[in-house]
Amino acid sequence: MKFSYNWLAEHIDGLTVPPAEIGKLITMKTAECEGVEAHGAHFEHVVVARVLTAEPIPGTHLSVTSVDTGRYGVKQVVCGAPNCRAGMLTAYVPPGQLGVTTAKLRGVDSDGMLASAKELGISAEDEGIIEFAAGEPGAAMAGCTADTIVEIDNKSLTHRPDLWGHHGMAREVAAIAGRPLKPIAAELPAGAPAVEIEIRDAKLCPRFSALRFENVTVQPSPLWLQQRLESVGLNPINNIVDVTNYLMAELAQPMHAYDAAKLQGGRIIVRVAEEGELCPALNGQTYTLDAGNLVIADAGGPVGIAGVIGGGPSAIGEGTTTILLEAANFHAASIRRTSTKLKLRTDASMRFEKSQDPENTVRALARAKWLLEQVSPGIRLVGGLADDYHPLPAVAPIEFDLVWMRRKLGKPDLTAAEVTAILRSLAFGVAETEGRFTVTVPSWRATKDVSLKDDLVEEVGRMIGYGNLTPAPPLVPSVVPPLPPERSYLRGLRQLLTAQGYTEVYNYSFVNEAQAAELGLPLEDHVRVVNPIAQGQELLRTSLLPNIKRNINDNAREFESFRCFEIGKEIHARGRELPEEIPHLAAVSFDKHGDGAANLFELKRLAGTIAPGCTVEPAEARGYEHPNRAAIVILRNEAIGRLFEFHPAMVETGRAAVLDLDLTKVQALRTAAGKYKPLRRFPTSAFDVTVPVAERELAGNVLARLREGAGELALDIRYLYDYKGDSGRSMSFRITLGAADRTLTGEEVTAVRSQVMSWMGL
Amino acid sequence: MIETQLSELAAATAARIAAAATAEELEVIRVEVLGRKGRLAEVSKDMGKLSPEQRGAVGKQLNAAKQTLEAALTARKTAFDEAALRARLDREWLDLTAPAAGPGLGSLHPLTQIQAEIEDLFVSLGFTVLDGPEVETEFNNFDALNIPPDHPARDMQDTFWLSNGHLLRTHTSPVQVRGMKKLGPPLRMIAPGRVFRNEEVDASHEHTFYQLEGMMVDKDVSVAHLIYFMKTLLSAIFKRDVTVRLRPGYFPFVEPGFELDIQCLICQGAGCPVCKQSGWVELLPCGLVHPNVLRLGGIDPEEYSGFAFGLGLTRLVMMRYAIDDIRQLQGGDLRFLTQF
Ligand SMILES: [Zn+2]
Repeated sequence: MKFSYNWLAEHIDGLTVPPAEIGKLITMKTAECEGVEAHGAHFEHVVVARVLTAEPIPGTHLSVTSVDTGRYGVKQVVCGAPNCRAGMLTAYVPPGQLGVTTAKLRGVDSDGMLASAKELGISAEDEGIIEFAAGEPGAAMAGCTADTIVEIDNKSLTHRPDLWGHHGMAREVAAIAGRPLKPIAAELPAGAPAVEIEIRDAKLCPRFSALRFENVTVQPSPLWLQQRLESVGLNPINNIVDVTNYLMAELAQPMHAYDAAKLQGGRIIVRVAEEGELCPALNGQTYTLDAGNLVIADAGGPVGIAGVIGGGPSAIGEGTTTILLEAANFHAASIRRTSTKLKLRTDASMRFEKSQDPENTVRALARAKWLLEQVSPGIRLVGGLADDYHPLPAVAPIEFDLVWMRRKLGKPDLTAAEVTAILRSLAFGVAETEGRFTVTVPSWRATKDVSLKDDLVEEVGRMIGYGNLTPAPPLVPSVVPPLPPERSYLRGLRQLLTAQGYTEVYNYSFVNEAQAAELGLPLEDHVRVVNPIAQGQELLRTSLLPNIKRNINDNAREFESFRCFEIGKEIHARGRELPEEIPHLAAVSFDKHGDGAANLFELKRLAGTIAPGCTVEPAEARGYEHPNRAAIVILRNEAIGRLFEFHPAMVETGRAAVLDLDLTKVQALRTAAGKYKPLRRFPTSAFDVTVPVAERELAGNVLARLREGAGELALDIRYLYDYKGDSGRSMSFRITLGAADRTLTGEEVTAVRSQVMSWMGL
Repeated sequence: MIETQLSELAAATAARIAAAATAEELEVIRVEVLGRKGRLAEVSKDMGKLSPEQRGAVGKQLNAAKQTLEAALTARKTAFDEAALRARLDREWLDLTAPAAGPGLGSLHPLTQIQAEIEDLFVSLGFTVLDGPEVETEFNNFDALNIPPDHPARDMQDTFWLSNGHLLRTHTSPVQVRGMKKLGPPLRMIAPGRVFRNEEVDASHEHTFYQLEGMMVDKDVSVAHLIYFMKTLLSAIFKRDVTVRLRPGYFPFVEPGFELDIQCLICQGAGCPVCKQSGWVELLPCGLVHPNVLRLGGIDPEEYSGFAFGLGLTRLVMMRYAIDDIRQLQGGDLRFLTQF
C-alpha cells in the first residue's frame, strides 16, 4: 500500500517530521516500510505553455511547434502528438526534467518536450499531450506538487483495517510525532432516504449506506485529484469513480457509484447469490455465482458482487446524470471466500477481508458529498441518507493493571501517565485509577484487531519503542532438558556414515506418478498433493528410493564412483488420519566399473555397523532390483530393510548398491550392552573343515548347518574362503572349540571333528 | 701333533668363515666345525689319548679356537643379518604420495551441520529438542496458532493441501502446540525441521526449506527477556557480538509480534548493498505467545507467559556459506555437497 506524504500531512496539525524520516518511524512503530520515493519532483519545473504555431514536418507524423512557456521564453519543440495544434494550452517539460534533453529530431532542433498526462505522472492518459482549459504560460500545473511516496508492506497491515487508508495511517504518524490528528467532518443533511435498502443477512452485511445524487456531470477529475490517485497507484477514470477511489484510499472505505438510471425498482437488496446466478462485472467479465457469494441486487438481479466488484451495466458512463453512491460493510471471511473462489482480488476485497469498520460508511458518504460538489459542479443530493445498520456486538472494555503491563514488557519504571498518553494518542478511551486501567477500543480497531489486554501491550510497547526496554536475562529453573533419544541416535548415525565415506544428500518429500510407477510403489499408499504448482509434486514419497535413483543417475555423469546417503521420512497414507512418517536411511555405493560385488559387501558391512548382529537373507527381487542381488536385512528375527543392486535398466551407467533401512525398527531392536562375560581362562583348539557345495549354495546356509552339527563346544565358526575348481565348488571354515572350566583334550577335539564330518556327510 | 692339527683347522675355518657368502654357508661351517659332532668335538674326543699335561694345553687351545671361531661366526652372521635387513628395508621403499585406498571422509549436509550446532547451543541453555510430523492437521498448523479459516494471514503462507484433508506444515510452529501439550509449563523447547510452501522455485525461492521454532514459557516472561535472549543466542550463532532491534510485526500466534533485525554484519550498520543501505537485516519473527495459543496448549495465560521465535535455518546456511542458489541445497549434487 502506497501512502502520499502530502496526503498524510493534510490530516495532521503541524507535522514537522521530514519526508525522509517518515518511513523509518513507521517501520519502527507501526508497520514495515518497503521504500520511500520522491514523486513528481518535476512538478516544480514543468509549466503551462501555449502552442503558438504548429507546422507538420513533411514525411513524418511530427510537427515543429513554437511554444510560449512563460518562465523559459519561447521555445521550438518537436511534437508527435495527434492533438498538437496552435492555440492550445499544454504542459512544457524543460530539458533536464523527466529525462528530456535538447535534441535534433529528423534534423529539427527540439528544446524540451510537450508531454502527455502519462508522461507527467498524472494519469494513464497517453493519447496525446495534456490539454488545459485555462491557465497562464509559465505557471505551475494547478494541484500538481512534489511529494514523497511511502510504500508499506501489505502483509504487515493484515491485522489493521484502519491502515488501508491515509487517515488511519495519519493517526499513527500523528501519535508517533506527538501532533494532533485533524478530525473529519461527517455531517449529512437530514432527509427521506432516496432508496430502500434490504439486508437479508446482517451477519454477512452489517451495514449498507447510500446517497443519491442528480445533475451529475461525468468528466475528467481536476489535475490535483488525478495526480494524487496516480501517486498512490490508482488509475484516474472519471470524476465520479475517482471520488470513490479517493475515499477508499483516504478512509479505507471501499465505495461504489451506480448509474441510478440503470437500476431497476426503488430497492437495493443485499443477499446471497442463487446457485448459478450470473453477474456481469465492470471489468467486462461475467461471473457465475453460488450461495457462498453475496450480491447487491436490484429488481432485475445482481448489480454487483458485494465487496469485490461492481456490475457492468450500471457502471458510470459519459451519459450518467444520476448516481447512487454505496458505502457498505461486509463480513470479512465471506468476501475473502468469494474473492478467492472467483480469483478476483480487488482494492475493495483486499480491504474488506481485513474486517472494516461499519461506523465508517456514513463518514465516507459525507466526505464524498463534499468532494463531489467540488468535482461535479451543480451536483445535487436527492433526499437524505439511506442506511440499514445492524451494529456488531460491542467489544467489552479491556481491563488491566499497570503492574501486569510492566511485567509483560519488562519495563519496571513504566508509569500510568505514559500508558494513558500513548493509548489516548491512538484514540483509545482510557480510565485509570491507581494503576487499574479500563480501556475502550475505537470502532476501527474493534472489528478484529484489539480485544485483549495483550493487544494493548503491543500498542504501549511499540510507542515506547522496544529499543527503550532494558534487555534482562530470563529467570528460569536450571534443569537438564529431557532429550529425545532419536536425536542423538540420528546424529551418531550421520557421523558414522560420513566416517565411512558417505556424503549426505537432502531430497524433496515429493515424487511424481511416473517415479512411483517406475519403482512399482502402489499409488494408493501415497498421500496426494491437491494443489501442486509444479510438476513432480503430485505425491508424497513412500520411499526414499525414487529420488535416490535420480541422485545416482545425476552424479554418475560427474563421478566414476561415489558414496552418498539420505536420512528422510517415508510418508505412508492412512486414510483420513495423519499419515505414518517413518525415518529411513538410504545409502548408496556406486561404481562405474567393476562387478558390483564389492559395493554390495561394503554396504553389508555398513549394515552390520549400524545394526550390529543383523543378518542378510536373499529375497525375491523387486522390479527395480537386480534379480540375483537382492536381500532383506534382518535383526532379531525382524526385517529392518533391504540390500540390493539397482537393476541395470534403472542405472545403466554402472553398479549402484543400495542399503535401505527402517530406522524406527533399527532403533527399537537395538540391544544395549548387558552384564559383562568373564574372560576365557582355558586355551581353545581349532580345526578347519572344507565342505563341497553346490554351485549356488549359500554360505549362510552352510554355516547354519555347521552350527547345528558342531555342538556346544564350538565357540566360533568362521568362513575362510570359497574355492571353485575342476571338481566343483567348496567352502572352508575354521571351527574353534573350548570349554569354560577346562582345557579340552585331544580326544574331545577329535570327537567333535568326527561328529561335524559325519553331520555334514563328509 | 694334535696342536698343529688344531691350529690348522682353526686357521682354515677362520678363512672359510671370512669367505662365506651367505648365512646358510655359515651354518654349514658351524655344524661341520662347532657342531655336536663337528671337527672340534672330534678333537676333544681324541684328547682322552693325551697326557694330562698335554690335555691341559690342548684344552686351552681348543677353548680358545672355539671362542675365536664362534665370535667370528657371530660377527659374520650379524653382518649378514644387517645386510639382509638393509636390503629388505631398501626393497620396501614406498611412495607415500600415492593415494590411499578406500573411501575418504564423507560430508554432512550443511543444513545438518548448522542444525546440530544450533541445537547444541539451545541444549546448553536448557532447551529440549522436539520433532513434529511433516504432514500436519489444518488445526495444528493454523487454527491452534490463532489463524482461523478465512483469516487473511493464511495468504501469507501458500499451502500444499493433501488428499487426506491435511496439509504439509507451512512452518515449524505447530510443534509449539505439540510441545506445550507434551511438556507442560514451565518449558523451553526448540523444534527444527522441514517446512513447505507452495511456491515456484528459483534461485532464491524454495518450496521446501528448514526452520527452527523456539519457545520459552514460564512465569513473567517479558519482551525485555526476549530481547536479551535473542541477542545472546544470535551472538553465539554468529560468533560475535550482535546488535538487535525489535519492531512491530504481525503474526497471529504472538501478541505483541515482532520482526527482529540484526545490525548488518557486513557494514556494521553504516549501510551497504546487503542491507539495502539501511544498516539492518531482517532476521526472524518473534513475539510473546498469544494467550489463545497458550490456552490451546493447555496453559493458563493468566499464570504463564512466554516467547516464541522462528529461525530460518536455510537462510542461515546461505548466509554462512554465501550460497547464491537455494536449489543446490536439495539438488543432490555431490560436487556441491562434498564441499562442506
Ligand atoms: Zn550493510
